[in-house]
Amino acid sequence: MKKQEKNNKKSGKEKLANVRTTAIPTWCPGCFNFMILAGFERFLQEQIKLGKKKEDFAIVSGIGCHAKIFDYINLPGINSLHGRGIPTAIGMKLAKPELNVFEFAGDGDAYAEGMEHLIHAARYNSNFKLVVHNNQVFALTVGEPSPVTEEGFKDKTNPMGVKLKPLNPIKLMLASGASFVARVFADVNQIQQVLNEAQKHKGFAFIEVLQPCVIFHPDTNYKAHAYNLQEAKHDKTNIKAAMERAEEFDYDVLKSSTKIPLGIFYQKERATFEDILKR
Amino acid sequence: MKYNILIGGAAGQGSNIITDIVSEGLLNKGYYVFYSRDYQSLIRGGHNFNLLSFSDEPVYSNSSGIDILVCLDSKTEDIHKKALKKNAIVLSGSNPNMFFAGQIYKILGIELEILEKQMKKLKNFVENMKEALKGYNSEKRNLGLPKLNQNAHGGLRFMTGSQAIAYGALKSGLDLYYAYPMTPATPLMMELGQMQLEKDSRHKVIELESEIAVINAALGSNLLGSKAMIGTSGGGFDLMTESLSLAGMAEIPLVIYLSQRPGPSTGVATYTSQGDLNLALHAGHGEFSRIVIAPGDSKESIEKTNECFYLSQKYRVPCILLGDKHLAESKQSFESELDLREVESSIVKPERFNSYEADEDKDEIASEEAGVIKKNHDKRLKKQKIIEKDIENFEAYKTFGNTNSKNLILSWGSTKGSIIDALKILEEQDKSAKFIQILIVEPFSRKIISELNKAKKIIVVENNSTSQLSRLLAEKAQIVVDDKNKILRYDGRPFLSDELAEEIRRRLK
Repeated sequence: MKKQEKNNKKSGKEKLANVRTTAIPTWCPGCFNFMILAGFERFLQEQIKLGKKKEDFAIVSGIGCHAKIFDYINLPGINSLHGRGIPTAIGMKLAKPELNVFEFAGDGDAYAEGMEHLIHAARYNSNFKLVVHNNQVFALTVGEPSPVTEEGFKDKTNPMGVKLKPLNPIKLMLASGASFVARVFADVNQIQQVLNEAQKHKGFAFIEVLQPCVIFHPDTNYKAHAYNLQEAKHDKTNIKAAMERAEEFDYDVLKSSTKIPLGIFYQKERATFEDILKR
Repeated sequence: MKYNILIGGAAGQGSNIITDIVSEGLLNKGYYVFYSRDYQSLIRGGHNFNLLSFSDEPVYSNSSGIDILVCLDSKTEDIHKKALKKNAIVLSGSNPNMFFAGQIYKILGIELEILEKQMKKLKNFVENMKEALKGYNSEKRNLGLPKLNQNAHGGLRFMTGSQAIAYGALKSGLDLYYAYPMTPATPLMMELGQMQLEKDSRHKVIELESEIAVINAALGSNLLGSKAMIGTSGGGFDLMTESLSLAGMAEIPLVIYLSQRPGPSTGVATYTSQGDLNLALHAGHGEFSRIVIAPGDSKESIEKTNECFYLSQKYRVPCILLGDKHLAESKQSFESELDLREVESSIVKPERFNSYEADEDKDEIASEEAGVIKKNHDKRLKKQKIIEKDIENFEAYKTFGNTNSKNLILSWGSTKGSIIDALKILEEQDKSAKFIQILIVEPFSRKIISELNKAKKIIVVENNSTSQLSRLLAEKAQIVVDDKNKILRYDGRPFLSDELAEEIRRRLK
């Protein structure tokens, strides 16, 4: 601890590594993606400060508003296809297991088009970190419902309102054998912290970031319903307890009694896909 | 001389093992061997058979008529007796399969010690050898085949197309083979899978959840400089096409093995077809470069797999190795000399890739600027021109038969063997034609176009119903092939050389 403080002090004068491209973000003013961008940027800068090199990291994204993060963070990698970032990241890890691969996906990417890959990535325990920007809507295509949109949501394509119940991705990931399952709010500190924890975790890390979409799915006061799992002394090694916590929030219309647990639901290391295939 | 042996029975009865044992014996005696497999999409029961043709000269296909019929079940005799030649030998009865192997060895006059060597490769040596000996000793017939002093007694390679592709991939430095099982691409997955057990092997075979996962994982690996290859058949390839276009846009090298079977849709899983030429040439949205190479036999399967790796890395393009069930599953002997290239990965440092049109001068950031869009298209067009020029330095086609003939037979892929054997039959009838086998189908060599312009009559031979090659000739060379000069077989079966010879003869000028 002391050593780290010392380092921090020393680095106060040091210039932080530049991990950004020259691109000027085109997200809407006030978009919560800026929080994810800043959280990832700070995480990278801290990792570099602690001795890692920029080339030790790689970035993958899908298609949607979230994917623009590829244009803003200057790491090697690929802005892949809609839903297909996950197998791309799996292939990258198999080619270079030592590379720290971070994939960013949207709720359309991860829960609709690329659902099969999400389930299998958890099963394989491929050692990359997946950040799902969940704004509960298809934003870049102007506001259609996604698999995690609440019942009753209306847009131009379905003026009668959504008649389906949303999917619960946390339950899905727990059931699929994900070795690290977390959910945070689109807040710079929360993102940086959870990325730090995910980086230390050897195996697939599923991180869902709940975020409003300022245009198509505005904030319904998530924060008022949220509490931190770790502060609540949740046992993250207990899958049953994790499942119970996951059921507290069903992604549907918020009621006054709705509680949204944030933090790490579950974490238990096991052999990674890359380890299993090593001979 | 040429003999045909048909070995048939229910799935699981051991036709394949017997065929391999007989083949090895014949190769040892100095003969050339070709066998094809005819099997149904089931695991036990049904009717499967292998048709083995051997000769004192190179043999590349089967012909009609059976000299030796080996019946592992009664159904085999019922189905195939009508194809028996005069004086044909029929082996039947409820004997264990190695009993038949012994009988055949005696008939073909192959030494007992070779039989023993083959039996040693099997699990229950003592029991199998006992049965084989019984068969050998019970058999009195002998074809009186001389032992030939050629090929240094088995000095030929003997491989299926799938084994050859696996060998070619390893010789090219294959790191990762990703696949989702689909006949007839699966035999390659099996070969490469088994080869992982060999000492010093360093490649990995990885089965993922779908063909979509397969191609994207391979692109993920290759964008970091790996040499990953993928394989599938038509339906699986359809699923991959969005990412084929990504490989074109992001310029990531990739070798894709497309092993054809009859379509449309699920079609006929375990039979052969050349119905996916158009698919290989045109799949994927947008305009981008690709290379399509179609080997015609096992030897070419090694060399062309290597060429696919080489060219895909050299130009950072998707390269499609276009095969089919007949190529994948037929086994043949061939001279061991090979023409192979060293394959170096073209991506040696970390880079950024984009599925969007992106500005290479600005960290590969997605761009909607007119200037960038046009510049990138121009860059891709320029690359296409360079590849087209360079292709002329590669073996875009091969010529066989009478090179002075004005009758030109044109084909691609696994029909090659039947055509070469058919030409031999025609020569015996004092008829001749020139045969051009197209190896690199895309880009289309200008040299082929000038060959086409020299011909008086063009005959196209293909295993499809619409003659997709003729359509390509119209596009590339503005040549319209007369419908009556299209020899097309589309019943899932390969051409038999004698039947094909007759089809060609009727069309010769």
